[in-house]
Amino acid sequence: MKRWLKEDLWRHAIALVVCFFVLFPIYLVILSALSPTGSLQVTSFIPKTISFHNFSQLFTSPKIPYLVWMKNSLVIAGVVAILSVVIGAASAFAFSRLRFKGKKQGLQLLLLVQMFPAILSLSAVYVIMSRVYSFAPRIGLGTQPGLLLVYMGGAMGVNIWLLKGFVDSIPMELDEAAKVDGASAVQTYWLIFVPLAAPVLAVVSLLSFIGTFNEFILARLFLVDMHARTIAVGLQGFISGQYASNWGPFAAGSIIASIPLIAIFLSLQRYIISGLTAGSVKG
Amino acid sequence: METLFKRKVTVTLKYIVVTFVASLLLMLIMSSFAKREYAISIFLGFALFAMAITYLTNFSIPMKFFLPGMFFLIAFVVGPILYTVAMSAFHYETGNYISKPEAITQILSTGVRPDADQTTFDIVIGEDAGKKLEILASDPLNKKYFISSLTSKIDLDASTLKIDENGDVATAPGFHALTPSEQSALDAQLGQARFVYSSDYFITIEGGTLGSLKRQTLTYDKTSDTFKNVLTGAIYKDNGTGDFANVANKAEILQPGWRAPIWFANYTKLFTDPQIRKPLIRVFIWTVVFASLTVLTQFALGLLIALVMNRKLFGRRIYRSIIILPYAMPSIMSILIWGGMFDTEFGAINHLFGTHVHWFQSPLYARLAVIIVNLWLGFPYFYLICSGALQAIPAELSEAAAIDGASSGQIFRKITLPLLLQVVSPLLVASFAFNFNNFNIIYLLTGGGPSNTLGGDVAGSTDILISYTYKIAFGAGTQNLGLASAISVVIFFIIASISLYGIRRSKVLDSFA
Repeated sequence: MKRWLKEDLWRHAIALVVCFFVLFPIYLVILSALSPTGSLQVTSFIPKTISFHNFSQLFTSPKIPYLVWMKNSLVIAGVVAILSVVIGAASAFAFSRLRFKGKKQGLQLLLLVQMFPAILSLSAVYVIMSRVYSFAPRIGLGTQPGLLLVYMGGAMGVNIWLLKGFVDSIPMELDEAAKVDGASAVQTYWLIFVPLAAPVLAVVSLLSFIGTFNEFILARLFLVDMHARTIAVGLQGFISGQYASNWGPFAAGSIIASIPLIAIFLSLQRYIISGLTAGSVKG
Repeated sequence: METLFKRKVTVTLKYIVVTFVASLLLMLIMSSFAKREYAISIFLGFALFAMAITYLTNFSIPMKFFLPGMFFLIAFVVGPILYTVAMSAFHYETGNYISKPEAITQILSTGVRPDADQTTFDIVIGEDAGKKLEILASDPLNKKYFISSLTSKIDLDASTLKIDENGDVATAPGFHALTPSEQSALDAQLGQARFVYSSDYFITIEGGTLGSLKRQTLTYDKTSDTFKNVLTGAIYKDNGTGDFANVANKAEILQPGWRAPIWFANYTKLFTDPQIRKPLIRVFIWTVVFASLTVLTQFALGLLIALVMNRKLFGRRIYRSIIILPYAMPSIMSILIWGGMFDTEFGAINHLFGTHVHWFQSPLYARLAVIIVNLWLGFPYFYLICSGALQAIPAELSEAAAIDGASSGQIFRKITLPLLLQVVSPLLVASFAFNFNNFNIIYLLTGGGPSNTLGGDVAGSTDILISYTYKIAFGAGTQNLGLASAISVVIFFIIASISLYGIRRSKVLDSFA
């Protein structure tokens, strides 16, 4: 009995130290979100006064279109998550199940393309989209649909790879049986594969959603207008301002923006982890 | 009967979608063609053609699945990559952005000097009976008056004119002055217009009523493709790298230059130009150190926690949910918050430890800060991976070893760790490759600093290759897209070889066939 206690004690000690390390910044964010001065300046780790001014400011101040940013982020990330998985799943299915010439080369090319540092083709994307803007102002540079299109391209490679891994794990017998019954490849895809893979597709689109929600560099380059910004770009604006760092609303905004992601993550952690080990690293 | 009906519905649906996308593409093709973006029109044309063939015939079944994905990949990933590779073969930087004909036009329009006395005339802008633009110019000092058009100059006899108290004339026979609103309609044309004065000199309009005498000092000769400065006699020749350089003094070039193909010069520069090579080597070493330290610390802490919690422990689920938090939070926000915490005066870190460290002013501490923050961000990932892998290792193995008298340390070193590494090593390689290009943490936490910008060195102490390249391409001051593209291509080869090594080990390639 004593030995058990001793064994567990040091385990708890280590776990608690690590939890402290994890929670320390999170606690500070909550602290500064609730502080009336709205700074990350620490004079005491225990709050003397608690104010919800920073939170209410997000929703009432006309200078901070927080809800608009939130909506932008949710819409952009949502559309990218759904469309890129719908399109990516078809390619993944073909890579996994169909036999055709150049399959191996195609997969290798897909892998190779992903290794090119995406940030460095930024200038090229910029030039291309500014040209698109010259003839189609609604989908070119500076517009949300334009950003969305670029995200779709970026999400394609990762999603096809991830989904291919999942498709490979679905037993072949099922679509062979369908083939015997006279189903074409397209029918097998819609009638057998899509219903079977639905939970997997949901997880991959979730990962895609989180990735897009987190994206910052392209969004900042594309979305200049205050009301077109995503939440990441908008919040960063608070503390990179020319005059003063505005930590209070930043902290409050970050907490609200994090809640949906953390909720998704904690509730679906088992599925997401199996998706991650299939070869992706968080971006 | 029902299936037949269903089938009809899906086929109709297919035609509706295909027609809709096709008309969208057609619209874009037409508008891009109208704006002379031919490359884009051709690409979209191909897309339209491929779509028609794929979905209206049974030409290729796999293509039915690939086409939409391929469209986005080519347009927004492969296209930009090829563009970047192409840019790396060009002299493409601030001052060399435009094409050669544009550069020649710009040099000609700026290669103009006022005459030695800086002569000016009082002018009236107007037109002749045939609506041809001309000016009525007065030189009150010398009592000279003339009408000048874009092609000719007619001197007027002062005695026939009505000269006002300032010595100017406002009208002349056959000359019609333009009203201010007529002038503003011709604004663009008037700014460019050169009115004849003599064979060398011409008059430009400097404001509504003032014209100044100027001369083209830089003249372009098309046949020899050279510029000549008529004042100094200097000859400027195309130096082959996108600039007109003085034949006598190669360092003296005319602005602007143009983007000229220089093939591998950007690449050789990386290895031969000490001003580029030195910071590049320094940045490269730090990039490797940063990526290795990140992976090692993240893996070590993740493994430690996984080991600690690899048994029934009171409150394990709560610990697990807490430890997973950094992974679930939006990383941009976490990085920015950590940035605030490292503040020297008011930051929580200095407050907690009672220190007064200038975190982002000292290279060593800034690097330490980057590693600490990245550890916080990344160790939960390895914790999750390791705890999964540990559970997959059969308990019999360590039990058998324990019976044979192995200590727990021996069991870990000889059994657990090797088995674990077998599973985790491809992920370690992937994580290394990812952190090698981890732009966000550097850019948002330290901005690459602290840096010593004296001597034009833009590389900071925490800059990794990708953030350094970003500075070269998009930073303040001179932006060199050609050089940055060349570095990108080199990074690509480094990452590709690291990843290929990782893939070989994980045997992903086996499933290709």
